[in-house]
Formats: sequence, C-alpha cells, structure tokens
Amino acid sequence: MIDTYSRHRPLALLAIVVVAQVLLLAFQVKGEHDVRMIRYWAVALVTPLERAGTWSFSKVGGAWGGYVGLRNARAENERMRVELDQLRLRNRELESQAAQAQRLSTVLNFRNAHAEASMLAAQVIGSSADPTSHTLFINRGEHDRLRMNMGVVTPDGIVGKIVEVLPDAAQVLLINDKDSGVGALFSATRTHGVVRGSGDPEPRMEYVVNDEKVQPGDAIVTSGEDRIFPKDFPIGTVESCKPGSPFQVIRVQPSARLDRLEEVLVLLSQQEVAFKKPEAPATAAAASAAPAPSGAPAKTAAANPSAAPQ
Amino acid sequence: MLNVGERSDPNVEVHKFYGGAVLTVCLLALVFQAFLHKYGRWSELIDLPLLVTIYFGVSRRNPVTGLFLGGTIGILQDALSHDNPIGMYGIAKTMVGYLASSVGGRVDTEHPLSRFGLVFFLFHFHQIVLAITQRVLLNHTAPLFTLRLFLDSLVTAAFAVPLFALLDRLRRGS
Repeated sequence: MIDTYSRHRPLALLAIVVVAQVLLLAFQVKGEHDVRMIRYWAVALVTPLERAGTWSFSKVGGAWGGYVGLRNARAENERMRVELDQLRLRNRELESQAAQAQRLSTVLNFRNAHAEASMLAAQVIGSSADPTSHTLFINRGEHDRLRMNMGVVTPDGIVGKIVEVLPDAAQVLLINDKDSGVGALFSATRTHGVVRGSGDPEPRMEYVVNDEKVQPGDAIVTSGEDRIFPKDFPIGTVESCKPGSPFQVIRVQPSARLDRLEEVLVLLSQQEVAFKKPEAPATAAAASAAPAPSGAPAKTAAANPSAAPQ
Repeated sequence: MLNVGERSDPNVEVHKFYGGAVLTVCLLALVFQAFLHKYGRWSELIDLPLLVTIYFGVSRRNPVTGLFLGGTIGILQDALSHDNPIGMYGIAKTMVGYLASSVGGRVDTEHPLSRFGLVFFLFHFHQIVLAITQRVLLNHTAPLFTLRLFLDSLVTAAFAVPLFALLDRLRRGS
C-alpha cells in the first residue's frame, strides 16, 4: 500500500499541479459571453447535479403527490359512489312520484269530469297469487262503504267488479278473468254481446252472430244491462275476429291497462254516467286527491262528500 | 519499456549543482528570453526556459523536482509575457519537467545525440500540450505541427547540445 502510494506520488503531484494551473488559467480566461471559464466550468459542473437533484425531488415529490392524491381520490371515489347510489335511489323515488302524480292527475281529471257520478279512488295493493286467476286487491273496503258487484274503472276503461269486500280492502275480478262477464255492445253498430274472460290476457266478446260485420279496431263499450257498469263506458277494441260456430270468435284488447293498474275508481252506484275522455293531466293538485295509501283507507272518501255512496 | 513517473534508479547518477546555480540559470533564461524578444523574431526560434527545464529535469532525475521546476519556470514565463494568461506555459512546462526527469532516470542523457533527440522530442511534446491548452481553454487555433515548428525544433535541439555542455560545468564534482 505504502509502496503503491510512493510509486504514484509523482504522478499524483503532477495531476494536482496541472489541475491547479488549469484552474488558475480558467480563472483568468473569459469565454463566450464574457464569462470567466472558471465560472463556466463551475456552472457546468454544478448544473447537472442541480438538475439531477431537481429531477429527483420532482420525481419523488410527484410520486408522493400522486400517492397521496391516489389515496384521496380513492376515498373520494368511494364517497362519491355512495353519494351516486343515494342520488340514483332518490332519482328513482322522484321518478316514481312524478309518474304517480301523473296517474293521479289523470284520475282526478276523470273524476272531476264525471262529478255527477259517485266514485271513490282506490290504490291497487296486490294481485292474486293464482296465475290463472285475474284478480287484484284495492285499499278500500267495507269501511269505505264498498259493496259486492260494484264496478271498478279507470279513465281508460272498465277494469272489473268487486267480488269480495273486506273491512279495509276489496278483491276485484278483472274483465279478463274466466269467471267475468260484462254486458257489451259495439259502439258503432250497437250490436249487443257479452265480454267474457277467457283466462288469457285478452277477453272475448261472445254471442255475436257470424253475419255481423266486425272489424279489428271496432270500439266496444258497456251496455249497462249487467247493472254494474253504466252504459257506454269503454271496454276495449276488437283485436281480431273470425267466424265460429255458432258465433264469431272475437278477441278484445281491453282499453284499461289491466297488467299495470295502480290507481282505480270504484263506482259507488250504477248511476248513468256520460263517459268523457279524461283531459290531459297537469295540475299538481292531483296529489291532494290521491288515494290514501294502504293502511289509511276511507279518509278520502269520508272527507270528500262527492265520494259518498248515493 | 520506460515507466514514466517511477523513481529514478538509485544506481543512476544524480547530478548536483553549485548553490544558487539552478535559480540563477533559470532567472537568466527567463530574462534573456524576454530581452532577446525585443531584437527580432529570430529569438522566437529558441525557447530558453524550455531548454533549462529539460536540462535540470534530466540532471536531477526526480519527477517531483522536475514538475515543480518546470511549473515555476512556465508560470514566470507567463508572468513576463504581456498577454499570456498565467498557467499556459506553466502547464506545458510542468509536464515537460516531469517527463524529462522521468526519462533522465532511464536513458543516457549525457551523449550529445541523445540530448539532441530528447530536446527534439520534448520540444514537440511541449508544443502539443501548449496547442491543446490554447485550443481548449483559450479557443485559439494553435497548430500542433507545422514545418516551421519542425525547423524550430531542429534549431532548438541543435542549440541545446552546446548549451547543455556549458551548463554541465555548473555541476559539482562527484
């Protein structure tokens, strides 16, 4: 070790002396832009280190910032996701309420258009568990003075009749149930028949002779002969017809959306009603005429004198 | 093969000079160089400080002494010039002094021919270092080799042979 040092000592001294003189020279000489070479070299020597340091700090800082930002972003993402779910839920509620207000407005308009008739608004609260039985339950019952065989309608057309009355609910037999039958006639020709359920979604109009000219789209209305529905209430339209033995086989498309019922009107009497098409729903006052939710029946009917049975 | 930088062989004779001889000769070389410079360009043919550096480097045969002597002479030469930055000749002569003293310990430098060759070689080495320094630090286009430099080196080497013989008289007897 010592031998190596002593052997290279002259060379090291040479390097030191030469470097010292180079620095001395650089201190005196000015390069481009009148900058001393020593300054130029010092800057050239230090700049890469500074650049490397700046780059390192920048990268480390950026990585740290990215990490912290990522953590914050993740937490914020979770919070926003929860908030989004809540907003979606709230949006669905509002959409549902808006749709309900729309429907109730339609019912109210219809109710106001037939002020002479005694009707009671009701809300559908359930349907039959038997797939072959087309019935549903409404939130009005004996306490609301509902009785058997009262007609149930919507602004679009008839729905069915009450077949069972409970204290706070009633069961409605739809017109497409196989046990249902409604006195009917063609609106144009006044030809009579009976609309009877077949178990299918579409009921049939029976007792129409083959000679009777029937076309798809013909309107069918109530005849009033069954003493349940007033005369000339819409039942539906002819969907298809074909000759049969001994009567035509006529399938009827019900006017009321029997598979999407939510609010209905119960006819408290079989009084003559001149059917009028409901006006376009608009008023938010519909909400005030909304049927009482299940669990709070009869209040509306009691508060509304016009809803009392006549 | 010559191992530059190694200590000189202990068996090689190291010449010693009378007291103050080295200092006096170096100062005289610098003064003459500056003095002769006033009397025409012919004086530029001979670099007396370079010859003195080579001579004492070879005679002392100690690289450390050689490089410091060369450096000192070079810096003084720079200082005496009116426009050279300090260190330009200093670097070149430092390296020449180091090389000369390293070579002096390995080869015979007493024979006139070997002295001629050594001076010729070190003259160009000195010029190359000087040119590189000027190019790198001063941004000057100094030539590495020209015919003029070649002739200069021959003249300097030829002048060195009698000069070195004259300087041999300053040695103390062994």
